[in-house]
Amino acid sequence: MITKKTQCPKCRYIISSSGNPGEVVKITCPSCGNIGKISFKKEISDNGKVIEVFNLKKAYGDLIAVNDISFSINKGEIFAFLGPNGAGKTTTVEMIESIRQPTSGEIKILGKDIKTSFEEIRSQIGILPQEFHSFERLTVKETLIYFSSLYKKHANIDEIIKAMDLKSEENKLYKDLSGGLKQRVGVAIALVNDPNIIFLDEPSTGLDPKARREVWEVIASLKNKGKTVFLTTHYMEEAEYLADHIAIIHKGKIIAEGSLDELISKYGEESVLRIKNCKSANFIDILKDEGFEVLKQGNGDIAIKILYKEQVLEILSILKVECVDYGTIDIRRSNLEEIFLKLTGAKLSEVGT
Amino acid sequence: MNLKFIKTDLILNIKSWFRSKGTVFWTILFPILLIMIFGAIFSGAGDIEYNVVVQNLDETDFSKNFVDILKNISVIKVDEVDENIDLQEHMKEENVKVALQIPENFGETLQRYFIDRNVTVNLTYYYDPTDSNTVPVVRSIVSGVLNEYNNQITQSSSIIGLDEKSTLGEDFDFIDFFVPGMIGFTIMTSMVYGSIERNTKYRKDGILRKMLTMPISRVEWIFSKMLFMLFLSFLSTFVILIFGIFVWGLSVHINIFFFIIIIANSFLFSGLGMIIGRFVKEEETADMAGGAITFPMMFLAGTFFPLEQMPAFLQTIAQGLPLYYVNEALRNTMIYGNLDKTIYFTSFVIVFALIFFLVGVFLTKWKED
Repeated sequence: MITKKTQCPKCRYIISSSGNPGEVVKITCPSCGNIGKISFKKEISDNGKVIEVFNLKKAYGDLIAVNDISFSINKGEIFAFLGPNGAGKTTTVEMIESIRQPTSGEIKILGKDIKTSFEEIRSQIGILPQEFHSFERLTVKETLIYFSSLYKKHANIDEIIKAMDLKSEENKLYKDLSGGLKQRVGVAIALVNDPNIIFLDEPSTGLDPKARREVWEVIASLKNKGKTVFLTTHYMEEAEYLADHIAIIHKGKIIAEGSLDELISKYGEESVLRIKNCKSANFIDILKDEGFEVLKQGNGDIAIKILYKEQVLEILSILKVECVDYGTIDIRRSNLEEIFLKLTGAKLSEVGT
Repeated sequence: MNLKFIKTDLILNIKSWFRSKGTVFWTILFPILLIMIFGAIFSGAGDIEYNVVVQNLDETDFSKNFVDILKNISVIKVDEVDENIDLQEHMKEENVKVALQIPENFGETLQRYFIDRNVTVNLTYYYDPTDSNTVPVVRSIVSGVLNEYNNQITQSSSIIGLDEKSTLGEDFDFIDFFVPGMIGFTIMTSMVYGSIERNTKYRKDGILRKMLTMPISRVEWIFSKMLFMLFLSFLSTFVILIFGIFVWGLSVHINIFFFIIIIANSFLFSGLGMIIGRFVKEEETADMAGGAITFPMMFLAGTFFPLEQMPAFLQTIAQGLPLYYVNEALRNTMIYGNLDKTIYFTSFVIVFALIFFLVGVFLTKWKED
């Protein structure tokens, strides 16, 4: 149910009314009795999916860049489309953005088919293309004014500048900005029309670790504003840090999809807690008595299999109760790199060009 | 049509353009530099080609004697023509740069001089103002011969003088020929490279991909860019004209055709840039392709020197080049004031503009394959 306020065209009285997305409700002005209608925009499809992709395929002659993939993205989540260079990420996202024509398949954004409704959809999406460089000799603020002037509905430029932490750079020329700042401006440009969905195609590629981290913080802040983010990346740390929902694409096919926890539990190895330089001789026996599986031991180093997160607290508790002296403790769990390795036989960072 | 965007695009493009010192230099200062250099070089240089046509309308020995003196000067070759032909027509038909006409009262005046010391007679020196090499050299030779001849006859006063007549009917200099060519050439390079930048750099930088996902049509985008390109065309034309007028004393006629030619020229070469940008997608390669097309065109299309000075086969090639028609249209409207030729050459410019621009727009794609 959506609540909307509107002004009576006759007496200017502000009327509040509620309705479901897509519904047209008849209203009567409580002040002058004027009768009218109010429509509630259908912004997302009925199933809560803002992007739906069905059997999408893109072929260039014999080369199949995207091979019959399907996935959907929920409203308000950060979706990471993870894969090595040349896997088909950008081809896919550019088909969704209507830049490229699919060979076959169907794409819906906010419940509408992009083939027939892209004109309507484009005011509700914001895009940062891959390797995007804006106009070199415009300032940050001029750049945002430029792109904003294309839209009927647009966000407040000063608020975007503030939100993207670009206030001190707003009068600098784009060409004089660092790589990280340029990407932040790119994200800011994608926000000028106050979109519901933001596509970020490899936003941190080529940035140093500090700049990359800054861009991540900006992307994370978009989720807090209720935006849905479609992020393509070949950095597994980026997907691990930011994404609610990850799809791994390899050679045009989606080979795994789910949340990070789901992917690890489905494809990853078990988590391991490692204690180094343990000074207690009977600590291993205690652990075994408590039902823990000790994977490795020797020279005071112990590796214990962790099946669920509460087991970590139990082990720490035993260490404390038994007054066990030790060097260091760390917990290791599978990451996306290992999952990719397991699924493809190659390291993510070593595949592609 | 999103007028708000078009206005913002135009204003910010102009701001951005003025911030690029290199672009400002190549668009405005470079043509000025060329005008200065070429103006200085061709204002008083010599040449190896000193053919002089002489038409003797006088039948006395005095005139025959004078022609013989000219013939004896080793650096000029005298070609005598019949007294019945129209000398100016002959010059145009035979591509003659300088001619000397001896009037029919030449001998008679010299004879009368011994009775009446106040009589004078003038030879007429016809010259093609576009030839800055031959004209001044032959003029100084003829003047020298006249001085000597006057001295021999009168010992002091000048009985024989020299009238000068341009074959174009007015007093034109090389700079009059050069400035319209410079305008045509400057607009050509600005438009070609501007179009190439939009179609290669903007594609590489993802700006065209971004535009594709924004509420703007290709027509609105091209229209707004053309407004900016027209601003550039008129700015550079204005600067060149101001410079030509104040430094070289250029005299120009500004009329509706002048504006039509500048606008058509802008569309013509923007279209050419779009076509280059369509087929050569790498930015650097496209710049080289632009240079490979514009530089030979600059030299072959009569920008710096008249077509008539080139070999015949090159003249034929030149007549297939759009810049040739732009240059000739501009010269005829701005300098010569020849309406018939203006209409003739402007028609070609408009047809070229329509073809190149429409093909360019048709070929320019935003969508990726």
